[in-house]
Amino acid sequence: MTRVLVPLAILEGETVPAGLPTLLAPADVTVLGYHVLPEQTPPDQARLQYEDRATAALDDLVAEFEAAGSEADHRLVFTHDREQTIDRVAAETGADAYAIPGVTGPVDRLLVTLSGDVAAERIRSFVADLIAGREIDVTLFLATDDEPGGRESLETAAEALAAAGIDAETELSVGDAPFEALLDAAADHDAVVMGEQAPSLRSFLLGEDEERVAAESVGPVLVVRSSDGA
Amino acid sequence: MSDSSSVGGTNVDGESPRLEPTVETDEATITDDAELERTLGLTGGLAIGIGTMIGAGIFVFPGLAAGQAGPAAAGSFAIGALVALLVALPTSELATAMPKSGGGYYYISRGLGTLAGTVVGLSLWFGLVFATAFYLVGFGYYAVDTLAELGVTVGDGLVIPLALLFGAGFTVLNVTGTENAAKLQNGIVALLLSILVVFLGYGGLDAMGIVGDPSAPEQFAPFGTMPILTTAALVFTSYLGFAQVATVAGEMKDPGRNLPLAMVGSVLVVGVLYVATIFVATSAFGSERLAEFGETAMVEVGRHYLGAAGAVAIVFGGLLATMSSANASILSTSRAIYAVSKDALLPRRASRINLRYGTPHVALGMAGGPILVLVATGRVELLAEVASFLHLITYGLICVALLALRRDEPEWYDPDFRTPGYPVVPILGALASFALIGFMQRASQLIGVAIMLVTAGWYAYYARDVTLRGALQ
Repeated sequence: MTRVLVPLAILEGETVPAGLPTLLAPADVTVLGYHVLPEQTPPDQARLQYEDRATAALDDLVAEFEAAGSEADHRLVFTHDREQTIDRVAAETGADAYAIPGVTGPVDRLLVTLSGDVAAERIRSFVADLIAGREIDVTLFLATDDEPGGRESLETAAEALAAAGIDAETELSVGDAPFEALLDAAADHDAVVMGEQAPSLRSFLLGEDEERVAAESVGPVLVVRSSDGA
Repeated sequence: MSDSSSVGGTNVDGESPRLEPTVETDEATITDDAELERTLGLTGGLAIGIGTMIGAGIFVFPGLAAGQAGPAAAGSFAIGALVALLVALPTSELATAMPKSGGGYYYISRGLGTLAGTVVGLSLWFGLVFATAFYLVGFGYYAVDTLAELGVTVGDGLVIPLALLFGAGFTVLNVTGTENAAKLQNGIVALLLSILVVFLGYGGLDAMGIVGDPSAPEQFAPFGTMPILTTAALVFTSYLGFAQVATVAGEMKDPGRNLPLAMVGSVLVVGVLYVATIFVATSAFGSERLAEFGETAMVEVGRHYLGAAGAVAIVFGGLLATMSSANASILSTSRAIYAVSKDALLPRRASRINLRYGTPHVALGMAGGPILVLVATGRVELLAEVASFLHLITYGLICVALLALRRDEPEWYDPDFRTPGYPVVPILGALASFALIGFMQRASQLIGVAIMLVTAGWYAYYARDVTLRGALQ
C-alpha cells in the first residue's frame, strides 16, 4: 500500500488544506506532528508542557484524513532538527512520499515532474496508485536539454500511466531554466508531484527545490522519496 | 522500572515527579505519546566537553598555577586529568545505562536516593553557577587585554563591569535567541584547537631548544610537593566539563558509543593540551614572572614566542574560549535545574518554557541571576575552588552510585559501556575526588559545606516525601 507522510509544525498552527485529504484518500497517511526547539530547550521539557495540546490537534487531523477514506495514524516528535526527524520517521514508516501541505481546494489538475534525481519509474507508480480511477487530470512534465530523449521518457511514462487507466498529457520544456519552467507549469495546476532532490550547492544556498516549489506554487507538493528505508 | 510502584511521592506543593516509561533507541527516546529526537553527534558532544573545559585551563590558570607550584604545575594539571579520567569512566557507564538529561544528578538520585539526589542536583546548579562566574571573570580579563592590544588602555577596573555586561548578555541571548548556535560552538572549538596546536607546537620546539634562544632551566618543583596537590585542587576547575556532556545525554545520537567517547575523549584532549601549555609557559618565563602576569599570563607567553601576532592570537583565543565556557555552562545550568524540577525537587514552575521563544526562561534566569552576583565579587580563585568543590562532591558520589548499582544490579540496569578496571576505578575515583577537596583553601571548603547544608535543609523542608531511588523513567 502507498503511504504518505504529512509533516506539520503542529504547535505553530500549521494545518492541512481542504483538498489534501481527498487527494490522499487512496493512500495510508501518517501525520507527523513535529515541534522544533532551540538548543537551549531539552525536547523532554517541551514535551511535558505541550504534549497534550499537540496530541489533541493531531487527533483532529487524523480524523480528517480518515473521513476522506485513508487509513491514518499520527506520530509526535520534539526535535532540534526538522530534516532529521522527517527522514527518520519516513524511513521507519516506509513512506513512499511526504507532503508539503500548502493551500488548496479540491485538486482537479495534478502536475507530475519527472525532472530530478528520483527514478521516473518510482514517481510514475506512486501517481498510478494515487490517481487510478479518479477524475483528476494529470500533466507529465520534464525539463531537459535533450529533446528527443526527453520526449521518449515522457512517452514511456504516459504509456505506463495509460495502462493504469490514467490519460495523462505531456509537457516538455527544452532549453529553459528547468526550475523556472517547472514553476510556470505549476501555476496552472492545483498540486505538484516531484522526486526528492539530492542536496547540492544550489539547494544549500537557496533552500531545497521541494520547499521552493511549494512556496512559489502555494499548492501542496508531494515529494516522492528516493528509496524506502534508506 | 521493576519497582516503579514504590517510587513517586509528593513535595510541599503537592507535585509529584513526572515518571513515565520510555524506550531508548539510538535515534530517539520514545514515550507513550511522543518521541524525542536525538540530534547531537559525537562532534557536538566533544564540542560541549572541550568547549566548556578549555577556557579555564589554558587561558586563566597558567599564571596562577605557576605562581603556586612552579613548573611542577604541569604535574598538578596531570593529576587533575587523572582524577577526571577516573570519574569520566564510571560516568560514561552510568550515562549509557541512563541516557537522560540531568547527568550526574540523575544517576545519583536513582542510585542513592532522594536526599543524595537533592543535595547533588542543587549543588550542581550552584557549582555550575560558580564555574560560570569564574569563566566570566576570566573573560573580563581577556576583554580588557584585548582593548589594551587595540591601544585602548582601560585598566583592570573594568574587568568586573565587562564580565557583568557579558554575563547578562549571554543570559538574555539564551532566552531570546532561537538561532542554532551549536554549529557556531563547534566552529569556535575547532578554531581554538587550531590556534593552540600551532602555538604549542612552536612553543614546544622552542622550549626544547630546537628553535629560538635557549632558556635558563628552572627547578621543577621549587616549593615542594604539597603545592602541587593544592594547585591540583585549584586547577581542577579546568576539568569541569566532561560531565556536562552527560547533561545532554538525552539528546545524543547512538548514546552507547558517543557518550563514553565524548567524555573520555574530551578529558584526554584537554589534559594533554593543559600539560603542554604549562610546559611551554614555564619555559618562556620563570614561574615568578608568570605569576606576576596573573590571569592573562598566556598573552605574554604568546608575545614571547611569536611577537605581537602571538599576543593577538592568544587574546583572541582567550576571548573565544572563556565565552564558550561561560555559554556552555549557562546552558548546562538550565538543564540541571530542569532535571530537578521535573522530579519535584524544585517547583515545577522552574522548568516552564517561554511561549514566545520556546526557551526555558525561568531556569535560565535562575542561572543568570546568581552568576551575576558572584561575578561581582571578582574572586577568581575562590569561585574556581567552590565550583570544583561542588562538582567533586558530585563526581565522588557518581562513583559511589556506580558501586551501589553494580553491587545489586536492578533489572533495568543495562549499560552499553562497562567501566574497565571495576571496582578499582570507581573506588579510586571516589577517593581521589573527595581527597582533592581536602587540599582546597579553608574558605572554599566552608562555602561548599554551607551550600550542601542548605540543599539538605531544602530536602527536609520541601521534598522529604519524594522517592526517586530506582525510578528509571
